[in-house]
Amino acid sequence: MGQPILSPFGRVVGQSGLTCFMALRGVWQLNKLIVSYCDWGGSSRGIRAFMESHLPAFKEKNPQLEVVTELIRGQHPHLKGFYKNKNQRVICVKNMDPEDIHLHATRLRNALGRKVVKLRTRHVTKHPSVQGTWTTSLEY
Amino acid sequence: MASRRCLQTLTKTTPFLFRNLSSLRSLTIPPFHLAKASSPVFTKPTSVFAQWPHLRYFSSDKQDDHSDEEDYSEEEDYEDDDDDDDVPVSSRKKVYTAEEKEAEADAIGYRVVGPLPKDDDVFKPYEPVFAVVQIGSHQFKVSNRDSIFTERLKFCEVNDKLILNKVLLLGSANQTIIGRPIVPDAAVHAVVEEHALDAKVIIFKKKRRKNYRRTKGHRQELTKLRITDIQGIEKPQVVLTEKPSKPAKKEQEKVAASA
Repeated sequence: MGQPILSPFGRVVGQSGLTCFMALRGVWQLNKLIVSYCDWGGSSRGIRAFMESHLPAFKEKNPQLEVVTELIRGQHPHLKGFYKNKNQRVICVKNMDPEDIHLHATRLRNALGRKVVKLRTRHVTKHPSVQGTWTTSLEY
Repeated sequence: MASRRCLQTLTKTTPFLFRNLSSLRSLTIPPFHLAKASSPVFTKPTSVFAQWPHLRYFSSDKQDDHSDEEDYSEEEDYEDDDDDDDVPVSSRKKVYTAEEKEAEADAIGYRVVGPLPKDDDVFKPYEPVFAVVQIGSHQFKVSNRDSIFTERLKFCEVNDKLILNKVLLLGSANQTIIGRPIVPDAAVHAVVEEHALDAKVIIFKKKRRKNYRRTKGHRQELTKLRITDIQGIEKPQVVLTEKPSKPAKKEQEKVAASA
């Protein structure tokens, strides 16, 4: 029984009691990426080069992503990512090379919008036991 | 090495020594007359160096004629190392061929099938079957619809389908298959959900009363996989019909238990 692609994500209670988003399922989590730069400042040199060299290819590779360029004069450049769970991630890219900016943009695209906290478990499951949880009073 | 240092200092401090080829010949020790000509050979350079006592004398018995070529190649290697330091990290990536990628991925324990198709048959409802799967050096007991955080898997993008080959154990409600060490013809299907960085861990080092304190931040690169399917074991059939299925269910359970 497959679920449709555009179904809203549902909350699942994991083993540790945390709610984790049953996200993706084929759905990209990054909705919008705002590329903010300044046309005068020297810290925006890298991002201006990125916009000429890597950004068109990045846009083509991710047609589902809405990429917007924004001019902010007199301020340092940054990348803002908006996720489906209404989270925002801001990365300051001042004085960075275009390749590094491309790496950061790719990282934003690859991530879910969840808060960056230390992992509690590396295995998140809803059904921890198949054959029955072992107890001392179990008899075979 | 000693010979190289010797030659360099000589060329820097006493360039006029090397202008005459005859003087050079007198300095180099012929290679094949080591035993006999040891004493006369040593006297020649000492006479030369007597004029410049401030220069150190390095004697090397194994000085060959082709040592100059080796010295040049060593110098070139050092220059290449300096250039590598200047080159930024992002352009030092190794380009993998398709075969190398598959071989490395296979070694870690997974295989990339391809991007997720838009049919979305992949996300099935929960089945009471589990498998113990190994990725790299970590082992996980997985079931359908679980998610797993592993080290960053290099050769797959987000929304890719993977097949995990290294299955060590398969189990269902009434059957267990144990591998030696892996179960052949067993496969666990997974989908890459995200490639992300873990939270920052600060590595703080201190030695007390020694004026030594270091702080280093580290973020581990992780991949989140969603397990979709386990193959290689008989799954119990779940019949979703109404009441008349009750005797049918009991019959199926009996059959499964006996199998």
